[in-house]
Amino acid sequence: MTTGGWQHRGVPAGLLLITLFASGAAASLATGGRSDVGLSALLGVFGAEPKSLAQSVMFDIRLPRTLVAVFIGINLAMAGLILQAVTRNPLASPSILGVNQGAALGMVLALFFPAMSGSAVGVFAVTGALTAGALTFAIAGGFQGELNSLRLILGGVAVGAFACALVRFSFTLDDDLSRQVVRWTSGNIADMRWHDVGPLAGLSITGLIATVLLSHRLNLMALGEASATGLGTDPRITLLFGAVLAAILTGASVAVAGPVAFVGLVVPHMCRLVFGPDHRILVPAAALGGATLMVLADFASKWVIAPFETPVGVIAALIGAPYFLYQTLVAKDLE
Amino acid sequence: MTMVSGISRTVVVFTLLTLSLFGAAIWSLSAGAVPVSWQIIANTLFDLDGPRQDYIILRSRLPRTLLALLSGGCLAISGTIVQALLRNPLASPKIIGINSGAALAVCLMVIALPDLPITYLPVAAVLGGCLAASLVWLGSEVGKVSPTRLVLIGIAVGFLFDAGVDYILVTSPSFKFSTPLVWLTGSLWARGWAHLGLVWHVLLLLAVTSVILSYRLDLIRLGDAHATGLGMNVPRERFVLLALAVLLAAISVSVVGVLGFVGLMAPHIARSLVGGSHPVLQPCAILTGMFLVVLADATGRALAPPVEISAGILTAMFGAPFFIFILITTGKAEQS
Repeated sequence: MTTGGWQHRGVPAGLLLITLFASGAAASLATGGRSDVGLSALLGVFGAEPKSLAQSVMFDIRLPRTLVAVFIGINLAMAGLILQAVTRNPLASPSILGVNQGAALGMVLALFFPAMSGSAVGVFAVTGALTAGALTFAIAGGFQGELNSLRLILGGVAVGAFACALVRFSFTLDDDLSRQVVRWTSGNIADMRWHDVGPLAGLSITGLIATVLLSHRLNLMALGEASATGLGTDPRITLLFGAVLAAILTGASVAVAGPVAFVGLVVPHMCRLVFGPDHRILVPAAALGGATLMVLADFASKWVIAPFETPVGVIAALIGAPYFLYQTLVAKDLE
Repeated sequence: MTMVSGISRTVVVFTLLTLSLFGAAIWSLSAGAVPVSWQIIANTLFDLDGPRQDYIILRSRLPRTLLALLSGGCLAISGTIVQALLRNPLASPKIIGINSGAALAVCLMVIALPDLPITYLPVAAVLGGCLAASLVWLGSEVGKVSPTRLVLIGIAVGFLFDAGVDYILVTSPSFKFSTPLVWLTGSLWARGWAHLGLVWHVLLLLAVTSVILSYRLDLIRLGDAHATGLGMNVPRERFVLLALAVLLAAISVSVVGVLGFVGLMAPHIARSLVGGSHPVLQPCAILTGMFLVVLADATGRALAPPVEISAGILTAMFGAPFFIFILITTGKAEQS
C-alpha cells in the first residue's frame, strides 16, 4: 500500500526534478562575468568553426564549469546516500564523517611533493578520504561490530577538525602553495576547463553504475545486519564496497573542486522524503537531485553578488548547515 | 592518612604546574624570529645592567605572553564550568558553539563597520557568543537530550555560524579579510598592550568571581534535587554560571581569536591531576590552560622561524585526537 503511494508520487516528482535540473543547468549556463553572452550562444556551439566570441565563452568557460557542477553533485549525493545506507545513520555524509576533509588533506600532501601531478593527486585525495573514513569508523566501534550512531558523527567531526587543522598548518609553511590550497578549500569551481571534466565524468558515471548495482544490497542493509545475512548477503561486504566507493567518489570531487560540504547530507534526505526508501529508485533520483542542487548553487554563486563570485561550496554550506541543525533536532533514532 | 597524602599530592601538583608554567613563559619570551637568551630577558624585565632587548621583549613578546596566559586561564575556567553544568565530559566553549558565534559577530563588525574602534570587539564577540549559546540551550530544551546529543546540537550550531563566516569572508574584498583570517585560526600574532589593556580588567574580575563561585559547581554536580535540598536556587545559579562561562570564552576569543579545544583539554588534564572537587580543580585547570596556550604560542613561533604557526592550529592538532580519546572512553563508561 505504502509502496503504491510512493509510485504514485514518484512519476510527477521525477518529472518535476528533471524540469528543475534542466532550468537550473540553463540558468547556470546563461549567467557569468559577461552579461552579453546568453543561452543563444549554445546554439551551434558544437561543430561550428570558427566560433564567435560568445560561442567560445560558452564552450570553453561555461560549459565545463556547469558539467563539473553536475558531476560533483552526482558524486557527493551518491557518496552520502551510500554512507547513510551502510551506517544506517541519517546524519552520515562525506563532510560530517570527515571524509571530505581527509581528501583535502591528501591533496595538500600531494601538493608538497612536486613530482606528483595529474592523476596522482586524485590518488592521494582518495587515499586521504579512505583513511579518514576508516578512522571515523574505528572510533565509532564499527570494527568491533557495534556501530554507535552518535559516536560516528562526533568522531567524524573530530577527525574532520584534525584534518582541517593540518590543512591550515600547510598554509603557513609555503606562500605559493597556500595560494593553491586556499583556492579550493572553500569549494570553488570558477576556473574549470575541459581537462578537469574528462576524468571526473568517467569516475562519476562508473560510480553511478556501481551504485545502481549496489542498490539491492543497500536495501537489504536497511533491514538490519541479521536480516541481510539471512537473505544471503554479507553486510560486511556491502559495507566495505560502499565505503570504498563513497571514498573514491568523494576523493574525485574534492580533487577537482575542493571540499563542498552538506550536498551529500541534504540530497539523499530530500529524495527519501519524496521517492521513498527503495534504493533502486533512490539512486537515480539522488544522482539527479545532487546534480540539480549543484547547478542551482553554481547559478546562485555567479548571480548573487555580481562583482565577487561566491564559491559554490559556500552556497552549499549556507543551505546545508541549517538543514543539519534541523536534522540533529528532529532525528529520533540516534540514541 | 589519605587526607594528608591527598593534600600533599595537590601541593606537589600545583608546585610542578607553576614551575612548568614559569618555564613555558620564559621560553615564550625567548623563542621567535630573533632568539633572546634568558640573561637578556632578565636584564630587560628587571632593569638590570648589561645587554637588553627593550623593543622585542617589552613591546612584542611580553604583552603577547601575558595575553596567552590570560586567555588560556579564562578558556579553561569556561570549559570547567560548561563541563560541570552540562555534566558532560565532551563539552567545551567551542563545542557548544560559543567560539563560532563570537567569530561571526566579530567578522560582521570588522567587515561591515570597519570604522569602529577595536574597543567594540569584545562587545560584538559577547553578543555572538550569547546568541550561539542560547540557540544550543533552546535546542537542547526542545526534547530531553543526552549529553552526546547536546554536543551534536552545539556542533550543528557551530556549522551554521561557520557557514556565515565563510560567506562574509569570500564576498568581501580581499584587503579586508586578511585580518579576520589570521584571527579565525586563533593567533596571538601582532597582539600587543592595546589588546591586553582592552580586556584584562574584565577578564580578571570574571575569573576571580568564577573561582569564588566554583564550590557551587560541586553542589550542582550532585543533581538538581540534592542541590535544591541544600538550599540552592538551581536555575538561577545555573544561569549565572553559564553566563560567566559564555562571557569568559567570548571575551577571550575576541582578542586572541578562535583557540579551539583549550577549554576541553585543560579541565580534563586538571581532573586527572587533582580530582573532581571544583575549588581545587578550577585553579588547577586555570594553570593548565595557561600552560597550554603559552606553550602552543611559543611552539608556533619556534618551529619554523621566521614563519609563525598559529596557536589555534596547534591546539586543534592536539585537541581533536584528545576529543576522540574522551569520546571513546566516555562511550565505554556509558556501556559498562
